[in-house]
Amino acid sequence: MHIDKRRLYHLDWYLIGNGFALIAVGMLNLVSATRSIDSGPYNLLIKQLLAMGIGLAAVAVIVSYDYRVIAGYAKYWYVITLILIVVVLILGTIAGGAKRWLTIAGVAFQPSELMKPVMILLLATMLHQRKKDDEPLGLKDILLPLGLILFPCILILKQPDLGTAVVIMLSCFCVLWFVGLKKSTYAIILALTAGALPIFWQYLMKPYQKMRVLSLLNPELDPSGFGYHSIQAKIAVGSGGFLGKGYLNGTQHKLHFIPEHHTDFIFTVFGEEWGFIGSIVLFLLFASFILRCLKISENTSDELGATITFGITSIVFIQFTVNILMAINLAPVVGIPLPFISYGGSSLISSLIGAGLILNINMRRYMF
Amino acid sequence: MEPMNEGKYKWCRRIILLTLIVLCMRLFDLQILKGDDMKRLSEQNRVRVKKILAPRGMVFDRSSKVVADTRPSFNLYLIREDIRDFNQTVDGLARLLNLDRNDIINRLKEARDYPSSFPVKIESDLSMDQVAKIEANKFYLPGVTIQIEPKRNYPYGIMLAHVLGYVSEISSDELKMKEHKQYVPGDYIGKFGLERQYEEYLRGIDGEQRVEVDATGREVRVLDTVEPIAGNSLHLNIDMELQTVVEKAFDGKKGGAVVTDPRNGAVLALTSRPAFDPNQISSGVNKDYWAKIATDKTHPLQNRVTQGRFPPGSTFKIVLAMKALEKGIINVNTSFSCTGGFAYGGRVFKCWKKGGHGSVAVHRGIVESCDVFFYNVGLKLGVDAIHEEGETMGLTKVTGIDLPGEKAGLVPSTAWKQKTYGEKWYEGETVSVSIGQGAVWLTPMQLVQMASFVANEGVTFKPQLVSRIVSPQGKVLKVFEPALLTNVTPSKQAISNVKDGMRGVVNDPRGTAYASRLPNVAISGKTGTAQSASLGAGRGDHAWFVAFAPSENPVLSMAILVEFGGHGASVSAPIAKIVTDTYFKEQKEIKSAQLNAHR
Repeated sequence: MHIDKRRLYHLDWYLIGNGFALIAVGMLNLVSATRSIDSGPYNLLIKQLLAMGIGLAAVAVIVSYDYRVIAGYAKYWYVITLILIVVVLILGTIAGGAKRWLTIAGVAFQPSELMKPVMILLLATMLHQRKKDDEPLGLKDILLPLGLILFPCILILKQPDLGTAVVIMLSCFCVLWFVGLKKSTYAIILALTAGALPIFWQYLMKPYQKMRVLSLLNPELDPSGFGYHSIQAKIAVGSGGFLGKGYLNGTQHKLHFIPEHHTDFIFTVFGEEWGFIGSIVLFLLFASFILRCLKISENTSDELGATITFGITSIVFIQFTVNILMAINLAPVVGIPLPFISYGGSSLISSLIGAGLILNINMRRYMF
Repeated sequence: MEPMNEGKYKWCRRIILLTLIVLCMRLFDLQILKGDDMKRLSEQNRVRVKKILAPRGMVFDRSSKVVADTRPSFNLYLIREDIRDFNQTVDGLARLLNLDRNDIINRLKEARDYPSSFPVKIESDLSMDQVAKIEANKFYLPGVTIQIEPKRNYPYGIMLAHVLGYVSEISSDELKMKEHKQYVPGDYIGKFGLERQYEEYLRGIDGEQRVEVDATGREVRVLDTVEPIAGNSLHLNIDMELQTVVEKAFDGKKGGAVVTDPRNGAVLALTSRPAFDPNQISSGVNKDYWAKIATDKTHPLQNRVTQGRFPPGSTFKIVLAMKALEKGIINVNTSFSCTGGFAYGGRVFKCWKKGGHGSVAVHRGIVESCDVFFYNVGLKLGVDAIHEEGETMGLTKVTGIDLPGEKAGLVPSTAWKQKTYGEKWYEGETVSVSIGQGAVWLTPMQLVQMASFVANEGVTFKPQLVSRIVSPQGKVLKVFEPALLTNVTPSKQAISNVKDGMRGVVNDPRGTAYASRLPNVAISGKTGTAQSASLGAGRGDHAWFVAFAPSENPVLSMAILVEFGGHGASVSAPIAKIVTDTYFKEQKEIKSAQLNAHR
């Protein structure tokens, strides 16, 4: 492994600083969020710091190789990840009623998280091989990629993990849109999606998932049942008021009114303790990170690099948006983490791998 | 950089901006516009106000024996807010405690106007067994909590039941009353007897605890506590030793008895039978007991002494003798001839003694309870004079004893009959009234006042159960001084003749209660055997004995009624003998104890 020293100058220190700021906020918030967790507050913080270490090592490795080399191996990454997902379905560890984790030597890992950047790499590479000049892609060009997207998504839905599947599908659609499809192809995809939704609702969604969607429409209908968590999340964020209750002073999560408050509902902890002002600052950190990534995509002359960057940016944006909407009761409860902030090693490593790829692409954008 | 994608980036930035605007607007709405509401909701989530029940005031007898106190008990509450699956919790409770599901639902309905965090009492005084069952299944019964709370306890059981009364949960009708503003469903309230009469003193002030709870309703920590203030104690004039003797004498009998001190109105003993066990009524567990007591045809919930009106029978002759002597209608020597019957208005009124008493003056009239003598006296007096004397003695009104629901008897008059029936009074009715039958109805409480009237020569006091009220810190809040009820000066001649007669009843060998005399203490009394007006065949006569003792300087007055007991002389008078005997033995013990203490 060799790193051209000059390339370090081309590392995007703004993006790195922004990313670290988000991680720092996440760690700080995690301390407060995990105070009431039985296994001890610092236990989870240490695990998260460890995951960060692994993620940063991955970033170091990723930036050392040309992203085109990495993307060249995309189908292998894809096959490895897919095998891991299949193994999860057979041997996975059950937690909270879902089989999402693979425990190897005492360390639980969530392969579906890894699928998020891998899918982008594979899709961007495949679409590029198919793209000639500036012609938009037709249905025939994307049939195989679509199949390769749907297959792991169905497996992930089986776990069940609706959130991850939705994130992968939406980000892949962003990549397809970015590369450009024929108008007729968009129409067909749209029609297929519209047609698949009722089947999806009927056969693939679990009753509890349906209830979550329905209770979003009217949470007061069943305030102690499925609407309960949404209402409590809303109360937590709202009770923060303008300035917040102060760091470590939140009561909603501490008294267990909110489930998964350190993972998917992490924003309720932050919103309650830091209030409107703190939340705006957090949103601005995310906006700045996302816009910076978008800028890198825009500035990258290599179309493959621009596409990968765009895809990964879309993952961050989608996860951020849906997660916050869920916490403030504007989207149904699905398991989507808040990137860099939510507790969860796999999610943090996955986000860091994505960031590493973007840094890599940014470093090499002048090579053409 | 691709010119073709330039537009796409623009679109992306617009979408990002739009998303941020939407998120910020929602946050503005939740945190700033609705922030205070949300803060209140999170506070309500977190903080729950728990009531700490104040222990009810104690009740002591005159020698500070505890006759009512509190003991810890387990009460079961449901907090609706914490219920997750309504049917699971309600059905589970019904099954574990053997309750009717509808009872639980009705309980919850009663509290529907209270916040959902309000603990609704479902069952009180759980057994250890029940507590264990609930605790073992607590996980499946979210919303159920068990509190240890003070519960009323009456160590003497059925003794003194009608005096102490009982407490039970406030009813929904009572809750609606203005004076019960500070009560909530599930609160105990005195419903009968002293518990009701002195509710405001006994109740105490409930405390409050603000506790932080988590999402499952589990208490995390106590934020602050306002300690409850125990209720005030009542100190009674009742003497439990005397009471016990009276209660024992009444075992297996129906009726009532009251013993007072004629010098001040202090009530020393009061019993009414059949009785009830206030412990069982005050406990929520035994609904069957309550149903049984409330529907019992012998009316155990009636206080015979203050609420039971009976024909006074021959005891009423005291009233006639007093009035006749007072008015000079008769004197000590005025005699009437008794041949065992008295013809009036085409009817023969019999004397109880078949052969007749011969020539009878007032002394023998009382001692031997000659009916014919009093038929004559009564006719000479006329009903209005009898009524007048009843009024003078305080028999036409309630005595004012400190118990709720006292009833007044009736001493008839021509005006009363006119007013009530619109008819004139017939002299023949006076004949019946003369021996305490017909339209005369009196309570034992009123008759003990009659005894006191004679004993204390015209001065009587309002009967009083409670002597003083003392705060939990020992501060005397209220002392009940003797309150005059009647204050007249009857003629010397009248009072001494009646007293002589009453002394003779017990101490003259011809006296109707001679068998109940005591060697060391002279008892004065008057027997009565009243025909019950009840239509039930073969139920017998009411046995009365009204007395005071000692005959000189009396310190005890008593009225004893054994319902359907037969002859006053043979059934009721012996009870007076035991009471008097016990009292003076007790006094002797107290005196010797005091003497010993001096040495």
